[in-house]
Amino acid sequence: MATQDRLTTLPFRKDLTVPVSTPLLRTEDLSVSYGSQRVVTGVGFELARGRSLALIGESGSGKSTIARAVLRLLAGGGRATGRVEFDGEEVLGLSERRFRPLRGRAMGFVPQDPGNSLNPVRTIGAQAMEAAALLDEPNKAIRKALVLETFSQVGLDNPQRVYDSYPHQLSGGMLQRVLIGLAVLPRPKLLVADEPTSALDVTIQKRILDLLSRLQSDLDISLLLITHDLAIAAERADSLVVLKDGLIQEAGSTASVFASPKSAYARKLHADVPALNPDRYAALRDPGFHRLNAGAEKEPKIAVNAVTKTFALDGKRLTAVNGVSFSVPAGTTHALVGESGSGKTTTIRLLLGLEEPDAGQISVAGERLDGRSHTSLRTTWRHLQLVYQNPFTSLDPTWKVEQLVREPLDRFRIGTREERDERVREALANVGLGEHLLARKPDALSGGQRQRVAIARALVLKPDVIVLDEPTSALDVSVQADIIEVLLSLQARLGLTYVFVSHDLALVRQLAHTVSVMQHGRIVEHGTVADIFDHPKAPYTRSLLDSIPAGLARPAPVARPQTRQILIAEKIA
Amino acid sequence: MRNAYLTYAAKRLAQALVVILLTYVFTFVVVSILPGDPITNVLNNPQSGFTQEEIKEIIAAQGLDRPVLVQLWSSFSGFVTGDLGLSMRSHRPVATLIAEVLPSTLVLAASGLAVALVLAATVAYGTQFVPKRYGQGLLRGFPSLFLSVPNFVIGLVLIHFFGFQLGVFRVIEPDSVWATLFAAIALGIPISAQIAEVLIANLDNEAAQEYAAVARGRGLGQARLFAKHLLKPSSLPVVTVIALTIGELLGGSLITETVFGRTGIGSLVQRSVSTQDLPVLQAIVSLAAVVFVLVNLIADLLYPLLDPRVTLLGGPKSRADTEDGTTGVSPAVAS
Repeated sequence: MATQDRLTTLPFRKDLTVPVSTPLLRTEDLSVSYGSQRVVTGVGFELARGRSLALIGESGSGKSTIARAVLRLLAGGGRATGRVEFDGEEVLGLSERRFRPLRGRAMGFVPQDPGNSLNPVRTIGAQAMEAAALLDEPNKAIRKALVLETFSQVGLDNPQRVYDSYPHQLSGGMLQRVLIGLAVLPRPKLLVADEPTSALDVTIQKRILDLLSRLQSDLDISLLLITHDLAIAAERADSLVVLKDGLIQEAGSTASVFASPKSAYARKLHADVPALNPDRYAALRDPGFHRLNAGAEKEPKIAVNAVTKTFALDGKRLTAVNGVSFSVPAGTTHALVGESGSGKTTTIRLLLGLEEPDAGQISVAGERLDGRSHTSLRTTWRHLQLVYQNPFTSLDPTWKVEQLVREPLDRFRIGTREERDERVREALANVGLGEHLLARKPDALSGGQRQRVAIARALVLKPDVIVLDEPTSALDVSVQADIIEVLLSLQARLGLTYVFVSHDLALVRQLAHTVSVMQHGRIVEHGTVADIFDHPKAPYTRSLLDSIPAGLARPAPVARPQTRQILIAEKIA
Repeated sequence: MRNAYLTYAAKRLAQALVVILLTYVFTFVVVSILPGDPITNVLNNPQSGFTQEEIKEIIAAQGLDRPVLVQLWSSFSGFVTGDLGLSMRSHRPVATLIAEVLPSTLVLAASGLAVALVLAATVAYGTQFVPKRYGQGLLRGFPSLFLSVPNFVIGLVLIHFFGFQLGVFRVIEPDSVWATLFAAIALGIPISAQIAEVLIANLDNEAAQEYAAVARGRGLGQARLFAKHLLKPSSLPVVTVIALTIGELLGGSLITETVFGRTGIGSLVQRSVSTQDLPVLQAIVSLAAVVFVLVNLIADLLYPLLDPRVTLLGGPKSRADTEDGTTGVSPAVAS
């Protein structure tokens, strides 16, 4: 076919004037400020050709800002100083007109949140043709063929349908594939990937990272990977730069940083990553295992039996939860694990009495919850509390901490005024917050403090059961570690029973006692943590486990083929 | 998709008809019944200056001696069939009275809307291209400044400078092209301010979206980013805003007509109010309501056709995610 002939003869962009030893990307004393506030200070690193470098840090570390400064896509008001050398040429000082040809053509960008990264009112195809316009290919039909070819290269099954779709018609994983395809289509030398998988489910996360690694080696692209996830960085990057508050804490090859982290921050970060430290909280978790063994004959605290819930969706029936059963002995943690759409959220809504099951029974502390009115459920709710996923949206920003924690007591009319004050202080102390925070509003608190307030609010009623809906997924790893520690020590001291909903298997492994793995509304496997993680039986559980980034399990990559291979050429050959 | 749209359109149309009916009844109650009936209020009022014969004649012509519900029914059924009744004063058909002055008002309203759109688009799109040091702030200040100035003040200022001082148009010839243009400017400026306000906010919002940065990362320049990406999504909501300003456009036309001394619906309303010509008032208020409802109906029907994201209630979901093992559970159901 004529099209295919053209595809194989795509021009190679090899700049012969630049010696190969020059790093592709080099920054020196790079600083970025927004107005008078400096967010990145004096950062310098080098990214060799065909290699990958990860910028690691928590929110506010400046890692994304650096990526955007390199691409000169800083949001309004951002100003970068210092040097950024790309392919041996200083680019920070270039005029926008001279820099623009590099964007897309030489530097590709894969953004963080695929759902917001394509124009919602234009088709994918129209936007893809913009990337194809960078190809120096005059024939529009061939450009379109190249787009479709790239779509199938990044694993999209029906390229033409994707081409004709609007962004909202595709899933997050598909959109991220589209975006990666658009970024590599003009054959850039550098790919900047800003948290490319943090908005995606774990199994998709692994596939997207595999895709990036494959394209990187096939197309001989250098990868600048921005991530908060140390385990991903360890698995995917040749070298690391660890950042905190806009300053480099540590830099070096991945192997050396992991083998012997020199800075205190890198050591703490390392210790806080669940995937790298499965037994970190063993001492705090053990009492629960004893209760689990002891409580085998006693009545479980929570018993869910063959519960089904169906929703009507566009005239079709969608079974969100299908015959789900599990039981949780008092004082232990049961984890519900699954990806989006697996039915975990519906299951806990049923457990909390917020939805009425179509079939099956739910009981908490021997009391039946199903088939009861909201008024009669009020007394049960005192003993059954929820900690919501995102503390940035779950607390009313106009309320003070004291009002927030106290509200449940007022609602249930518990105790006198003095007793309520006392219990508010006690709950705050339990989650490790000082009384000086009582008059603060949520905006004046950090993410970790907010989630502690949310936990205190649940604790103040002295419940037996707390449902934790992804309680740490909106938080940085070090903050996540603090929250987990608070939760586990509360359980050890107060004998609380937790139902813990998460997609993060590494985290579940650290803190749960029993696990149910959910897929498409069913429990595909359940058992103790050891059963699930050491001897998984269901194929789905195994695929979930495989998706946990394995840290340094993968040997560091050595020699890569020196010739530039073009994916499409390779496929045709 | 097609069926869902037809269902949606039918629902909106039914709603619009109900609103029109209720408006008519409400207007009838306010104009003709409260407080008291027209016979005692208007005809027998010595200030109106009717003779006994005239009163009898009007009662017979308008059918004011019939029960109220019968009057309402005959009035409404007449309205639906296009018979707006007779004026109490001139005894001419109301429809003829309106038809005489309507073209002038339509010309003014249409040119006012055109001025508003051109002005709003110029100002709003200008804010995206004029650099800060060349007066972007001035452009951004425009909407809030003119939102707070009533259109009759703008009209008087325009008449003073362009009519009396500069002599661009003759104030005693209000229907000349130039006079009409300045009347349209006076009418259009406050409305353009509202549209520009929404447009600027939308443009800023869209420009700050992640997809704009990603598109620039694909090598798009400022001008193409604006034309290809930002223009459409930020202009779509303006359809709704324009529909909502129709009321203002109608009301504004009446005031502007008075300020510029034009003959139009405005002068007809003014005359009918001062002479208490109830059938004329009833017809004009009801017609204004019909126009307002219809324009908003059109906007509602247009919007789903323009924006691919709008999913209509009860419509089939077009989510195509089959790969990656995710199921298409919408957040509304899953949470």
